[in-house]
Amino acid sequence: MAAADSPSATLRRRDLCSRGIRLAGKMRSDVIDLLDTYVERQGLDASASVAVVEGVPAAAVEHWDEQSGTQRLLENLAAYRTFRTLLAQMLEEQREQLGEADAGLGRALAAVLLQVSAFAYHLEELLRLESRGAPSEEEAGPPQPLHLGLFERKLRGLGVLRELAQWAVRSARDLRQLAKPSLGSSSALSTAESP
Amino acid sequence: AFVPLTPRILSLTPDFSTSTLNLKWSDNGSIFPYGLDAFWQIQILRKETMEKVTQVIYYSKLTQEDVILSWNWTSDMPLECTSHYVKIRSYINVTQFVGPKDWSDWSAIEEVPGKDTEPNGSGMFPEDSVVAVGSDVTFCCIHEEGQEIQQMKYGREIYPMIRLSSRSSAIRVLNASASNASGTNVVCRLSEYEMHGTVLFVGYAPDIPQNLSCETSNFVTIKCTWKPGRPSGLYGKRETKYSLSERMSGKNVSCKVDETNGERVCNFSVNPDQTTYNFILRASNPIGQAESSLVIDLTQRVHPKAPEKLTFSGTNSTSVLLHWFINGSFAEIRLLCQIEISSGHSEQKTHNVSMPGGGFSTYTAQLNALRPYTKYQFRVRCSSADSFWRWSDWSRTEEHTTSEA
Amino acid sequence: DSHVQYERVGADVTMKCGSMDWDAAVTWMTNGTDIDESHQNGSYLILKKVNLTQSGQYSCYEGSSWHLKYQTSLRVGMPPKEPVLMCRSNNYPKGFYCSWHLPTPTYIPNFFNISVVHGTREMVCEKDTFPKNRCHIRYLQLFSTVKYKVTLTVTNALGKNSTTLTFDEVAIVKPDPPESVVAKPVPNNPRRLEVSWQNPSSWPDPESFPLKFFLRYRPLILDQWQHVELSDGTSHTITDAYAGKEYIIQVAAKDNDIGTWSDWSVAVHATPWTEEPKHLTTEAQITETTSASTSSFMPPPTTKICDKGAVLGS
Repeated sequence: MAAADSPSATLRRRDLCSRGIRLAGKMRSDVIDLLDTYVERQGLDASASVAVVEGVPAAAVEHWDEQSGTQRLLENLAAYRTFRTLLAQMLEEQREQLGEADAGLGRALAAVLLQVSAFAYHLEELLRLESRGAPSEEEAGPPQPLHLGLFERKLRGLGVLRELAQWAVRSARDLRQLAKPSLGSSSALSTAESP
Repeated sequence: AFVPLTPRILSLTPDFSTSTLNLKWSDNGSIFPYGLDAFWQIQILRKETMEKVTQVIYYSKLTQEDVILSWNWTSDMPLECTSHYVKIRSYINVTQFVGPKDWSDWSAIEEVPGKDTEPNGSGMFPEDSVVAVGSDVTFCCIHEEGQEIQQMKYGREIYPMIRLSSRSSAIRVLNASASNASGTNVVCRLSEYEMHGTVLFVGYAPDIPQNLSCETSNFVTIKCTWKPGRPSGLYGKRETKYSLSERMSGKNVSCKVDETNGERVCNFSVNPDQTTYNFILRASNPIGQAESSLVIDLTQRVHPKAPEKLTFSGTNSTSVLLHWFINGSFAEIRLLCQIEISSGHSEQKTHNVSMPGGGFSTYTAQLNALRPYTKYQFRVRCSSADSFWRWSDWSRTEEHTTSEA
Repeated sequence: DSHVQYERVGADVTMKCGSMDWDAAVTWMTNGTDIDESHQNGSYLILKKVNLTQSGQYSCYEGSSWHLKYQTSLRVGMPPKEPVLMCRSNNYPKGFYCSWHLPTPTYIPNFFNISVVHGTREMVCEKDTFPKNRCHIRYLQLFSTVKYKVTLTVTNALGKNSTTLTFDEVAIVKPDPPESVVAKPVPNNPRRLEVSWQNPSSWPDPESFPLKFFLRYRPLILDQWQHVELSDGTSHTITDAYAGKEYIIQVAAKDNDIGTWSDWSVAVHATPWTEEPKHLTTEAQITETTSASTSSFMPPPTTKICDKGAVLGS
């Protein structure tokens, strides 16, 4: 993280973090609602285990508590930029496949896409606060894999939403770490300790 | 005994999209006298065990020339599911030969290999297909050697599996019912994290478009509307598409769904010197198509837009000149307009006036017998005078107060 | 020779007297007492539809020489039924524990084996010394969408059974109940009670993984609970208490983002502050004052730890 923070920067970061935590919480509950609707409308099995989906940023992370603040922000930002592309692809796909038949699902998808975009912008602000600046956007994120059958696309969508729901939880945790007074030191719990 | 030459299959061509095999062979007619009857026994075999699926007899007449014969067969399962084999033998009724006659030997077997013979052939078939309600559909799941299918489900129901080969199993869905908008998932679970799947869309062929009606509001565009009839149950890129063609001009336009009211509409440009229009509205979707037709005389299908820009002139205390504009070119017809005059004394009069139609012009009517220094409300609507079709909507109401006496 | 023999309840058991011939004269004893000859068929001992009480030491002696020819410890029991398995994370994000028990006893020794798989990775489940039927797993990865699959296999001499649980990381997060719940009246406020508590000590990092709380309270005279959810902080002032009525209060906890609510905390009791009785006129008043001054102000009982049995939802 940045050199010793000025009080105003600390206050600004804490404000951004707490707003980010609320945004992540709202995003997560909306994604979970969307997941329920998506599973039901796509006729999928809610308990189905979906293998890791290529091109979808995995929220799973090892040694999470040892990450630096910058690492957290950069990983979050990269993920949400990718989700922005993935959700846009899903929205386009949904219109093509269902047309007006399921406008509700389309609206819910669009609403989550909006929140993901807002959250990405929020992360960029946090990175700017570090006078480090957000990395430039690479190309438009992962292309939709060439030939996927409809069922694979349905599963892919399920995988995207499930990962996004987990990312929303991880982001809230990351932002809480960032908001901690003892920022920078991975003062968070180390996994070496056993109960 | 007379035994014909063993026939030779020239080609066996699969059409995976329709699960159809096309068989071509030569009848070797050149070596026989003219006009003999020839019978061809065709056998289709399938699966690893090369079970006989069907056997048919094809009849042909020899013509002293080598004719290439062709025969199609549609499988009840996707050709990808497992290898299909064909063999053929012949029987020639050589009338001149008095001794016994017999079938030829079977031809060499021709094979259309299934995906279960290909290294990367795994998956489910048919892939994302569309069928009519009530259809029977066979799905197969092709997996890697050594893998085992835990279960195969159609929608929420587990189906008994039919083994086709060591890498392919199938289920048979009978009398498929309509699927929801996103289709019915057909899932083949191989392990906790591995499954193949496909989607089946089950719907209806388009209904014959009902209440097809075409009219013009301006002699520039003809607008046709209709009721789709029974919903097809198909959406998005599979939904029923409509196109309108006109026989006389040979023109064709595609139609769209009006975003605002979901009404289906087709806009056809008026042809300058054409009054009679012979429309055919075609509805098509992946399951089938239907059409309606309509012949109209455009002058009898005028439904003007609501008159606009009502203005007043004249200074007489008991009469007024009312002007209004109608968006459209009505030079070919006479217009009949109705002027509704009401005043505060809940008195309401309707005044009919007819005039030659103009091109995007303003029309005028003189209204007499009004009371001096009285506030009146006026509104107008018009239609074709010659052959009434429909009134336009009423114009906005405009107020005018007559001058003092 | 002597060994252990396991037999299922209700089974018919035949014991051979070691190498003795079928028709040899022998004596069978169990736990030092003779067995009625009706159970003998030649030198064989026949036990029909054995029951639990027939577990014990069985010995066979050669007729005349009383030489011990055969001895076995008969253990009558049952094969294991499908075990009941439960996994839970009460110390997220450190890890989670799984505990198990058999729905019905088998009366013979059972051996448990547990396997924990996360995607394709086998994880170590470190057995606790006490309680025996429990082990715990450390999260190597957080925020994973890949499910955990826990398979418990139980084996004994008479059979084998197993059960499998599949769950998401977030689904099993359930904190322990809040601790040190205290409820106090608020002086001069007859309708208020101040409740405070602490995060469960098993919850490792409340700062990064904050808990939210659910408070329920009711006067003992009523059955209907009142509830209030608190998203942060570990105290709350009840402001709508019935004056003078004793209240029972419990608190539950949940991770702010994931998982399920803890069980209810131990119940505490408290009665809101009540006004001192007014001074009466004439003599009565004087006597009253005297007695008032001698009895020191007894604040209503602030905490009365309810027996531990007060469980969530009962």
